Amino acid sequence: MTIVETRSKRGDASDGALGGRLSRVDGPAKITGEATYGLEYHPEGMVYAVLVQSTIASGRVRSIDATAAEAAPGVLLVMTPENALPIKSATDWLETPPSEAPYEPLAREVTFSGQHVAAVIAGTFEQATAAAALLKITYDETKAITSLDDPEAGIGIPIDQMTVEWGDAEAALATAPVRIEGEYRTPREYNVPIEPHGLIAEWKGDTLTVWEPSQWIDGMARTYAEWFGLPFENVRLVSPYIGGGFGSKALPLEHSAVAINAARMLGRPVKLAVTRPQTFTAFGGRPATRQTIALGATREGKLLSIVHRSANETSMKDIFVEPLGSVTSLMYETPNLSSRQNVVRVNTVKPGALRAPGENPSAFGIECAIDELAYKVGIDPLEIRLLNYAEQDPHAKKPWSTRRLREAYAAGAEAFGWSKRHPQPRSMREGNQLIGYGVAAGTYPVRRTPGEALVRILSDGTVEVASSSIDMGQGTYTILAQTAAEAIGVPVDAVRVKLGDSALPRAPVAGGSQLANLMTGAVHKAALAARDELIGLAINDPNSPFRNLQANTLVVEGGQIASPRDAGSGIAIAEVMQRIGRDRIEALRDTLPENLRNEKDHFRNFTTITTMRSPTEGDYSLHSWCVHFVEVRVDEDFGTVRVARMVSALDSGRLYNPKLAESQWKGGIIMGIGQALLEEGTIDSRHGRVMNNNLGDYLVPTNSDIPDLKVISVGIPDTNASVLGGKAVGELAIVGVAPAIANAVFHATGKRIRDMPITLEKLI
Amino acid sequence: MRDFSYLRAGSVEEALSAAAMPATMLLAGGTTLIDLAKCGVTEPERVVDITHLKGLDTIRIDAEGAFIGALAKMSHVAADAAVQSAFPAVSESLWQAASAQIRNMATIGGNLLQRTRCAYFRDPATFPACNKRTPGSGCSALEGVNRGHAVLGGSDTCIAIYPGDLAIALVAFDAIVHLGDRKIAVDDFFLLPGTTPDKEHDLQPGEMITAITIPASAAARRSTYLKVRDRQSYEFAAASAAVGIEFETDGKTIKDVRVALGGVATKPWRARTVEEALKGKALQTETVKTASRLAVEGAVAHGANHYKIELASRVIERAILKMGALA
Amino acid sequence: MTNRTTIQLEINGQTQALEVEPRVTLLDALRDHLQLTGTKKGCDQGQCGACTVHVDGERVLSCLTLAAQAEGRKITTVEGLSGPGGELHPVQAAFLEHDAFQCGYCTPGQIMSAVACIREGHAGSDDEIREYMSGNLCRCGAYPHIVEAIREAAKVMS
Repeated sequence: MTIVETRSKRGDASDGALGGRLSRVDGPAKITGEATYGLEYHPEGMVYAVLVQSTIASGRVRSIDATAAEAAPGVLLVMTPENALPIKSATDWLETPPSEAPYEPLAREVTFSGQHVAAVIAGTFEQATAAAALLKITYDETKAITSLDDPEAGIGIPIDQMTVEWGDAEAALATAPVRIEGEYRTPREYNVPIEPHGLIAEWKGDTLTVWEPSQWIDGMARTYAEWFGLPFENVRLVSPYIGGGFGSKALPLEHSAVAINAARMLGRPVKLAVTRPQTFTAFGGRPATRQTIALGATREGKLLSIVHRSANETSMKDIFVEPLGSVTSLMYETPNLSSRQNVVRVNTVKPGALRAPGENPSAFGIECAIDELAYKVGIDPLEIRLLNYAEQDPHAKKPWSTRRLREAYAAGAEAFGWSKRHPQPRSMREGNQLIGYGVAAGTYPVRRTPGEALVRILSDGTVEVASSSIDMGQGTYTILAQTAAEAIGVPVDAVRVKLGDSALPRAPVAGGSQLANLMTGAVHKAALAARDELIGLAINDPNSPFRNLQANTLVVEGGQIASPRDAGSGIAIAEVMQRIGRDRIEALRDTLPENLRNEKDHFRNFTTITTMRSPTEGDYSLHSWCVHFVEVRVDEDFGTVRVARMVSALDSGRLYNPKLAESQWKGGIIMGIGQALLEEGTIDSRHGRVMNNNLGDYLVPTNSDIPDLKVISVGIPDTNASVLGGKAVGELAIVGVAPAIANAVFHATGKRIRDMPITLEKLI
Repeated sequence: MRDFSYLRAGSVEEALSAAAMPATMLLAGGTTLIDLAKCGVTEPERVVDITHLKGLDTIRIDAEGAFIGALAKMSHVAADAAVQSAFPAVSESLWQAASAQIRNMATIGGNLLQRTRCAYFRDPATFPACNKRTPGSGCSALEGVNRGHAVLGGSDTCIAIYPGDLAIALVAFDAIVHLGDRKIAVDDFFLLPGTTPDKEHDLQPGEMITAITIPASAAARRSTYLKVRDRQSYEFAAASAAVGIEFETDGKTIKDVRVALGGVATKPWRARTVEEALKGKALQTETVKTASRLAVEGAVAHGANHYKIELASRVIERAILKMGALA
Repeated sequence: MTNRTTIQLEINGQTQALEVEPRVTLLDALRDHLQLTGTKKGCDQGQCGACTVHVDGERVLSCLTLAAQAEGRKITTVEGLSGPGGELHPVQAAFLEHDAFQCGYCTPGQIMSAVACIREGHAGSDDEIREYMSGNLCRCGAYPHIVEAIREAAKVMS
């Protein structure tokens, strides 16, 4: 067993190397307030747009009386579908060709409560807000289907691509000596980044500049270009800092079309900030889900069959699939499995991606079910996981590239003190507090899309890295600086990283935990090319101080160029650059395969997800793995659950910067604690409306809800997964947290809660 | 938020005469007024800022009790050593409320007047029906999302909860609200919704809260505020209790006991039946359990808020046992 | 009815005049009118703490404070926290060292709140820090590192 121990920052140059614990290079800007986020630009003449949302869940807008609003002070425009300039439909991220019909971001036909139906643009934010309240809107209301449980909702639409089957699961279940079955449910959950969505749009002739938080600069810029009939080059999207996204800022949304169109109609820059309540329906979070899981096993707890039936809600107009069988068919070895999924239409906004879409609720189901089986057959929940350990991908039937889950179980159990657990539920207590220990595993796939980067060595010896990829807190600025510094051989503080601007070289979506791996690969390639060119010039340029050495090669280290024999007595890069008369050496490199290296495929690669490779494409099955050990304290009288401590052991392969990776892991774990105990969109079933559309009522964890968290890295470099050996980080750690807590609550109380969140009324 | 004019009061008299004007509201910490103005629930034409008035933020504790000026900040009262010693439940109710920032803004007078968190009340654009906002328009909560609504003190026109914490402690210890020269018991200051849920306080036009006083008592000195909620902090109560006990000289017979409930009722809820059942009895777990149940006699659940009935009595029980050092 | 008034605000030691409607909050005055965008808007309804500033030395929410109300008070924002030579406040330095943020959006509010938390004497234990920092939501989940940073900064500041 190898545990990569948490290493404290050394405070020397090694922190800047890849794998070092360098502090965030964008940190100083963020802690002083100098970092400028999308909604913080002030183009000359900017005016303010405020959205108006529907108050019914289903029907048609009959009329909008804008008389009072238009007469209100400062109002420049009341935008409705009737007076908005037409917008074209755009290609979607799967490269589905656009519809011929125009795209209407303001609805005439209402399919959910909180849908945008109008916008008011005025000279100030206050004027626009006040005038928006003056619109008189009437509707022809029709009956809505308000939730997955609505009797009218039906069983939904089967999604055949989600079906996974091997063996004869139903028959094997019927004859299994031990059987359990349960229904596991998760509610609507919301991303709620602390920075609300919004943008500033400015037209100059037929060029458009948009300042907007974005997880996918190039994908969104493409949509904007298509919406407004512009060449891609005429759209500039700027997003140097993003105040959190968690999946919600990757795709173009209706409000952006409204703001850009308003700026076009008014000939002035328009700022549109979605209000916090509006964010709950301006885009969807995780849809409500339900899963029925039946496990058949031997009396010793060895799985014989898994039968899994699931459904998630989707909107009336779109199909959104939250892949609920993704962990079910991956985590354990079983001779028979059947997993099928439906989606059910309800009157809600189209659901979206929220941290580990699919894996997260999927793990809640299977990781609770396996725990229930452990109690049923009377063995330790950790032992049953080892007993059913999948030695290869049970679905793809391919070997794992790396799967250090066994090491994770061992390291986590040891650090947690799992052996101190009393097996019986309700057997551990302290005063009014019932104590429970729980465990659950998680996984997230390694996704792969080619990247691109520009690396530039400047005459002063500093280095620039440029990419339209983004940093929303994952640490892109920092790890790319570390990558370039190491590849070229300069101190990390000599590297400047520019991100978040569509004028820079292209990048695919920052989603699916793929960005760090693909961008370090691209930057590494470009940096090596730049270094090689520098060395080539230093050897061959007539004015180079190394010209007379007749060397075959030179080394670059610490910003100095030297002969390999004289390392340590080198000449500064700046001096060499000046002697050879170069103001820059530049390398633009992508990691596209040869057959995609043409203009069309290059564009496709960065503006759609069609070139993203699945985790099982190739010889191996590529995934990150983790396990969480939780101690909960449940107040016996009040039913309140508090997480007292947690130990998580995680395999994300090689960590490019452990300090930042640990932060991301802890962030995922904390979001998982919120999911398990607090987070739930509450729907008024008469009106189909999310009632807790604010941060006082949709509860996310506060500082007080979070104990000390211990994270242990058990990963090893996996070069089958990525060029530099990393696997998925950001989405991994939330997977398995909620079932670990639910399992701990069962151990504490003897009550099995199968629907999240585990709120106090379920336990008293 | 509709536009309004802003006046800064130079004196209490000036504030009162301004407050007597129509569509005029006094602005103290702003944590309710500005919030509700943004929701479109309050639409004042004139806002009179009283936060710059001098002399209304006194905190004075003596043998008689506490005198707290209406403009004293929640955080200052919570941190006051004399309050902590003579009225621990008052201090605890304050620091467990809201957040540190809000407690630095909100005043004691304004805190008493904070309004319900009922989601239907707070969204007039979507839910025109709200008897509290518009008498006679109906109540959307009775059959709606009401996990956080009242099980005590509701009527068929309104079940909106009184959300505050401080007032729970105040009603337990017989505090008095000073409206200039007029004085009224806290318990009488808050009104039940009945058929007029729009009328929440006995506060006449042109009146303002100038201070509260809390009489000193042995029960207040041995008191606590216990707040149960989904989130560990920065949340309103699922149920809470302010409890104080005075024992006879034998150290176990209950001489005086005060019990009030929060998070479950339409106004700060004094549980006098519990108090009467305990007075003169020896403090024992079973006695306390039985007595605590009396608090929720007559409670009415509306579906999702049913748990509050059980929870409320358990919170009282725990708080009393804690004060009697049995929990 | 639009009645704009000219007010003087003392922000980070400098008096600035601005003409705003009475309904303009201190938060919007800072961000939209004075272009001091270090103070963040996360909810605009007193529920997240991202807009935390100091008024007369105490932490408050600028989204629920009218700009006009703050006239005559001393306002400090994150931009005014560093020393005159740009040297970081101990809390800022500790946030960087302990990686007490990710996206950075709640961070100015966390830092302003943390400075006050220490000054108030509410950084005596980890649990006390947690309670007194609970008015600042962080969705990236930096809480354990925020606690570490405040614990360390409190030592430096004492």
